[in-house]
Amino acid sequence: MNAFGLAPLLLLFPAVGFILNGLFGRRFMDYDRKIGERWTGWLASGLALAAFGIAVLLYGSLATNELDQVTVNIFNWIVIPSSDFVVPWAMQIDTLSVTMMLVVTGVSSLIHIYAIGYMHGDPDFSRFFAYMNLFLFFMLVLVSANNYLMLFVGWEGVGLCSYLLIGFWFDRVDEQNKPMNANAARKAFIVNRIGDFGMILAMILLVWAFGSLTYDVVFESALDLFKEGQALNIFGQEVSIGALLTAVTGLFLLGAAGKSAQIPLYVWLPDAMAGPTPVSALIHAATMVTAGIYLIVRSNVLYEIVRASGETLVANLSINDLVALTGAATALIAGLIAFTQFDIKKVLAYSTISQLGFMIAAAGMGAYVAAIFHLITHAFFKALLFLSSGSVIHGMEHGHHQLEEDGHGDDQEEKFDPQDMRTMGGLRHKMRTTFIVYVIGALALAGIVPLAGFWSKDEILAQGLGNEGLVFITVFILLLLAAFCTAFYVGRQLKMVFFGKPRHEAANHAKESPAIMTAPLIILAVLTTLGGLLNLPFFSVGAVERVRGAQDSIQLELEEWLEHALESIELSKEVAGKVPILELPETPVTLELNVAGLSLALALLGLGLSMLVVYRRKPERAEDPDPLEKTPIWWFSVLPLNTLYMNYFVPAFNWLAHWLADKLDWEFWHDFFHDRIIRDGYIGLANFLNKRIDAAIIDDGIVNGSAKATGWLAMQLRKMQTGYVRNYALSVFLGVVVLIIYIIFLVK
Amino acid sequence: MPEVTIGWYIALSVALFTIGSLGVLIRRNAIIIFMSIELMLNSANLAFVAFARHLNDINGQVIVFFVITVAAAEVAVGLALIVAIFRTKHSINIDELHILKG
Amino acid sequence: MGDPIAFIILAVVALASALGMLLGRNAVHSALYLVLNFSTIAIFFLILKAPFLFVTQITIYAGAIMVLFLFVVMLLGAERLGGEGSKAGKWQLPVSIVLAFLLIITFVYVLISGGDAAGGNSLATVEGGPVEIGLALFESYVFPFEVASVLLLVAMVGVVVLRTKRGDNA
Repeated sequence: MNAFGLAPLLLLFPAVGFILNGLFGRRFMDYDRKIGERWTGWLASGLALAAFGIAVLLYGSLATNELDQVTVNIFNWIVIPSSDFVVPWAMQIDTLSVTMMLVVTGVSSLIHIYAIGYMHGDPDFSRFFAYMNLFLFFMLVLVSANNYLMLFVGWEGVGLCSYLLIGFWFDRVDEQNKPMNANAARKAFIVNRIGDFGMILAMILLVWAFGSLTYDVVFESALDLFKEGQALNIFGQEVSIGALLTAVTGLFLLGAAGKSAQIPLYVWLPDAMAGPTPVSALIHAATMVTAGIYLIVRSNVLYEIVRASGETLVANLSINDLVALTGAATALIAGLIAFTQFDIKKVLAYSTISQLGFMIAAAGMGAYVAAIFHLITHAFFKALLFLSSGSVIHGMEHGHHQLEEDGHGDDQEEKFDPQDMRTMGGLRHKMRTTFIVYVIGALALAGIVPLAGFWSKDEILAQGLGNEGLVFITVFILLLLAAFCTAFYVGRQLKMVFFGKPRHEAANHAKESPAIMTAPLIILAVLTTLGGLLNLPFFSVGAVERVRGAQDSIQLELEEWLEHALESIELSKEVAGKVPILELPETPVTLELNVAGLSLALALLGLGLSMLVVYRRKPERAEDPDPLEKTPIWWFSVLPLNTLYMNYFVPAFNWLAHWLADKLDWEFWHDFFHDRIIRDGYIGLANFLNKRIDAAIIDDGIVNGSAKATGWLAMQLRKMQTGYVRNYALSVFLGVVVLIIYIIFLVK
Repeated sequence: MPEVTIGWYIALSVALFTIGSLGVLIRRNAIIIFMSIELMLNSANLAFVAFARHLNDINGQVIVFFVITVAAAEVAVGLALIVAIFRTKHSINIDELHILKG
Repeated sequence: MGDPIAFIILAVVALASALGMLLGRNAVHSALYLVLNFSTIAIFFLILKAPFLFVTQITIYAGAIMVLFLFVVMLLGAERLGGEGSKAGKWQLPVSIVLAFLLIITFVYVLISGGDAAGGNSLATVEGGPVEIGLALFESYVFPFEVASVLLLVAMVGVVVLRTKRGDNA
């Protein structure tokens, strides 16, 4: 099958959806509310599904084409003939990009359908779907690019759409009348920009060094230079390929930190929860934030060259180590912060940051397939969790409206936040379907077998344990702790939302969401359950032996699929006695029982602990303090545990949780720092430029000045028009005399 | 006795022309200005005829014929204009016609 | 080209009458001086062997045009209109005199530097009589002739139009 010619349709469909919905959506809506919603919503979702169909066709074509890469050239964008610099608008159809396309379009279609139900009744319905389609378009540009500049176009585009969608309800203000949504959108955009700055610098370096931005050319040139051990000449300095690539990959890390919310640029993601829940699900769980990981995985050759060249940046850490450590640290810290969050979406936001940390750490450790595997499974269960939380919020709002209609007056003076978990409780009886899918998602997130999250997370952990080196071990330990924290806050969330008794009347009146919302949830739940099959490791050494006998190298399914796009894997294999050029850290193929068992045990421990500790006493009202603050020591004395140990352990843990709550404060201070120095400084500079330079010099001086000069000149010249005929006659006569003198005396 | 050459006639013509132009520039009475213009035309006619004699060409005199015709037409119209203006402004001082002052 | 003495006398008269016209306070006096000037010019025409133009000048210029001038002067009572304060600026007079002076100087220079027109034999001359003028007019200059007649027609119409006040049927 050859459907490669259809590849540009992948980009065309969402673009068409954006244009149609953008231009005509409002008319549909104004014409008839219900039909209009149906048309816009299904148009957008239909086009997303069409894009998914194209992705499936491309997958089929690739599968029947020996998984070789195909480039579909659309047109040449930038051509500089004198230096042979060409940047085409071309799509690279290889296994990695097709994988991403499938995930992006698939999850996106489901979220589009969900959003038809979620955004029902919103006056800006069509604008929402226009933006969603635009986002899909840019994301597909990003993953299908065959050069870094086209990737960057998609990169910026998704950043823009993120801004547009986070600030979708831009006129919402909080108590102090500050536009919180607009501020959050702006914050996301600006923090992303810092990452973009890194990307641009990296691309400039690539153009300087290799004269091209196309993946194939860059990778090949880099490999050639590495093999021959040559050095490049940049700005008059001799720079080894390792050092150059350290700079490039380090800048890519900066870009990824901005887009994928790693330390120190994660501050935008929790605030981004101000957007509608489908937006959070699509952009901030499944697709946009994974762009950073896609970037790193796509540039795996560059990262592996850096690893092989042994260039270290600081404290004997190479870029790869830095990537891994950044990811691991982010994973742990975000996980701890999630303990103290009361907003259901903020917990998921920090969870996203934490899981992204897992993926980045995997990429840093060289486990690119594991990173992509976790990306896929995370897309499934995080989208599921976000959409289900949206369903919960929907239910709570419904319950709140019910209260208002029934006239329960006593609760109405306070401001009701449908996203506050302290007001929920006991929703498993009221919203059964949501509860079931949410549990599936939560367990997947925590990493319980046999759900998808278990397999992918384990592969990452095994990578850490299975390789030698201080960095690997450190990353392993950090990720392990992060996994424990994940399980804990997930269990906490389950407990607070679904179990116990409702702590607010609104929760009592909550109702299940309509089918258009729960159907995508169920589909995602199925995907979450079965997603592990993508890259199941071999279960026993015997199975490994059997496969090893058949061919030279063994791989897992996803790995085999992706290997065709990730050249570093190929280059690091010993094929027919050839010495491998690069050395990838070892990726486990068997199920490492020790790792699996350890992580599973920690996950169960975390879940159980959270179930016990959180809201043990089932407080009646939402205002009761979080029992996490009080240590229920008396309860633990019942267990056959060393109570003395618990005496020390639990308070220490509480202290840590509190410290992180303070850190949350510090976080605001951090924001405060950002606000004062960066924002105010920028505003001050902008004002200065505005008043002194723009207004005074340019407006008054140049523009008005030239007008005034013209006017003055005209006033002077005006005096010549005295109105007296005799003066005019004099001028004529003067002219005549001058001419005569000129002709007679000066013309030879 | 020196011979009367063409230069003498040209000199006279120039002198008359200058006097005429001075009249246009200095006098305020519109009719006097008009008369000065006629004087200028005449000085040009004199020069033409002198050259016709000098160059032995009849065309110079033909031109003068036409100039006289045109001058007659112009005087008629111009005086009619002055009369028309006098009707409104009751003055032929051209310094009072400065409405087009910029 | 004529007798020097006659030339000088006539030139003096022409210049004097021109100056008289320029400096006259009374408009009627200026007109009469101008008539004298025109007559002098006519005599010059005669000296320069252009008898037809001599007659034409007397008839039309000194006769018709100046009479018209005098009619208008009488009509408007312009003889009494002198000059009030000059309002056209104080430079008008000095600059005019300077410019006129420059013009004269230029001409003198041309004359002295030998700008004498070349050619001109005083032997075979053309008599500007009616026959010769008529031949020239109707042979070479027919079109300008017709145009001139149209011009006169236009002038007549123009004068009538200017005379008519709005709403008049005159």
